[in-house]
Amino acid sequence: MNRRLSGPGAWILYFITALLMVFILAPLAVVVAMSVSDSYFVSFPPQGFTLKWYGKILQDRDFLAALQLSGLLAFSTTMGSLLLGIPAAIALTRGRFPGQDLLKGLVLSPLIFPALVTGLALMQLLSAMGSGDARINLLIGHIVVTSPYVIRAVVTSLLLVDYNLEDAARTLGANRLKTFWRITLPQIAPGVAAGALFAFMVSFDNYPVTMWLANSEYSPVPLVLMRQLVNVFDPSVPAMSTVIIILAVVGVLILERLVGLRRAAAM
Amino acid sequence: MNSAEVRLQALSKHYHRVAAVDDVSLTIEPGSMVALLGPSGCGKTTCLRMIAGLVSPSSGDILVNSERITRVPVHKRNIGMLFQNYALFPHMTVSENIAFGLDMRGIGKADAVKRVGHALDLVRLADFGGRFPSQLSGGQQQRVALARALVIEPAVLLLDEPLGALDKGLRESMQVELRALQRRLGVTTVMVTHDQDEALTMADRIVVMRDGRLEQVGTATEIYQRPASKFVATFLGASNLFNGTVERRNGGETLVTTGAGLSLSVDGVAADARDVVVSVRPEAVVVNRLNGSSPPQNVPNTIVAEIEQVIYRGFISHYYLKLQDGQELIAYQQNQTRDVAAAYAQGEKVIVRWDRSSNHVIAKD
Ligand SMILES: Nc1ncnc2c1ncn2[C@@H]1O[C@H](COP(=O)(O)OP(=O)(O)O)[C@@H](O)[C@H]1O
Ligand SMILES: [Mg+2]
Repeated sequence: MNRRLSGPGAWILYFITALLMVFILAPLAVVVAMSVSDSYFVSFPPQGFTLKWYGKILQDRDFLAALQLSGLLAFSTTMGSLLLGIPAAIALTRGRFPGQDLLKGLVLSPLIFPALVTGLALMQLLSAMGSGDARINLLIGHIVVTSPYVIRAVVTSLLLVDYNLEDAARTLGANRLKTFWRITLPQIAPGVAAGALFAFMVSFDNYPVTMWLANSEYSPVPLVLMRQLVNVFDPSVPAMSTVIIILAVVGVLILERLVGLRRAAAM
Repeated sequence: MNSAEVRLQALSKHYHRVAAVDDVSLTIEPGSMVALLGPSGCGKTTCLRMIAGLVSPSSGDILVNSERITRVPVHKRNIGMLFQNYALFPHMTVSENIAFGLDMRGIGKADAVKRVGHALDLVRLADFGGRFPSQLSGGQQQRVALARALVIEPAVLLLDEPLGALDKGLRESMQVELRALQRRLGVTTVMVTHDQDEALTMADRIVVMRDGRLEQVGTATEIYQRPASKFVATFLGASNLFNGTVERRNGGETLVTTGAGLSLSVDGVAADARDVVVSVRPEAVVVNRLNGSSPPQNVPNTIVAEIEQVIYRGFISHYYLKLQDGQELIAYQQNQTRDVAAAYAQGEKVIVRWDRSSNHVIAKD
């Protein structure tokens, strides 16, 4: 789109956009502000300025362990949902089989079904199957929750790829695998990246499914945060949240650098 | 380049019982250029994609140099194809696009570079190797696509509406360029087009298709001068069609009379034919003033008509005429003097005639 907005309508639009940004960013700003409050309880506006809460959480073994677990979990979840999601997306867009549309709906279903119920169902299923390792259970649960995001992002970008490109590659001597690797994948890279980012983020701060599958030994960040929130509501909670926000922003920036997320967002 | 013969044997493709291509048999001479011509939806693209291997036939066979390739997968067929929208890989430079097919064939870097350079020269884009497709004009993209298809030295070159996306002037120069290149390389080529001028300009032989079937196969002259059906007669250029009855046979000559009282002297009517269709090309029809004289009676291939409209088209004029019984007639005539077209009044009675050799009897509908 290179048509520029102009006139009074444009100003109204800019105003609404600005308002929306404030609406989205204000809570985050409040969290960051609260994390530097020099008080024993969370308060807003912050009283004074201190970084001691950051010092505290960076020595908190539970928090660091949770951070490590969540990072590893989110990373493995992302890989897993890419490995499942990309082939699934290809089958859904390029393949032709009976019940394709129904399956497309089903695969996207956890976006519709309440996550809490999904988590409960998964817990019962996994314990019925005798899977006792919380880390494995969490990984499976998170992949179930995140692959629809990957599938949706990849399906959307696959639909935009001109299938003549794939046909051209095949007439030039590329088999299906090489065609995918050399032609299709570079075209859908932004979609894959967007899907991966969603998967990572969703896994990193998922509470409703995690809650059912974690145990006291393996507790990801959201659970630790919640526990802290209930026990002692001091500014270390917003400090933890701020760390997560910073990690998220860094992640987005890296991805933007690598594949141009704006291209992906255009989908 | 080695020229291959392509043969289609009773080739059919059905989509949910609907025949997109229906029992097509065709032999394409080595090194020749054949155009599949027909209206949109008649199965041209499906035919081409079956030869490429992108669509698998419901029945029938495809042979290249007498070798059956019907079940050979696309990437092993060694067929160069040009797509309507060029299908250049947007994330690769021009050189990388052209080198892709060589890479897939495991051709070494040094050799590939040399061949890509040669291909770029061939399409006169020597300085464009480092550009991306988005930085090229439509005509240049077209030539890159051509170089990419030719560099693999394909047994057969397939072109699907190759010039459809170009504007008129460029299209005409590309037609000539493409044809010259094809002749020089001698690569067997099948092109698809719905544009009769393109088919007439470029092809050695034209295959007219209709509803998935072959309607007529022949050289441009054969098809234009002796259309096998009403469909061909009107699809390729315009034709005046007369429904008539065989009146009298006189040795080789046969007289056919029409409802408007026109008698046509024709050759080549089957011995037992009674009702026939005769086609006459508009450029064969000569229009003349009556000049007050009474119209000639019973002269074959001659009749009085009324001027409906005359459209001046530069060096020719199109005459839209009407016969006594309401049948319409078109005549194209070269303009002799500057004011001749304006000289006819609407509704004016004129005399039209043509040479008997212009009468062509059409065998089927
Ligand atoms: N993949 C397909 N599925 C169903 N019908 C198709 C498919 N491809 C082509 N057709 C049908 O087959 C007929 C011929 O199509 P096509 O070969 O593209 O015609 P053309 O190239 O002459 O315009 C059309 O009626 C078209 O709708
Ligand atoms: Mg077509």
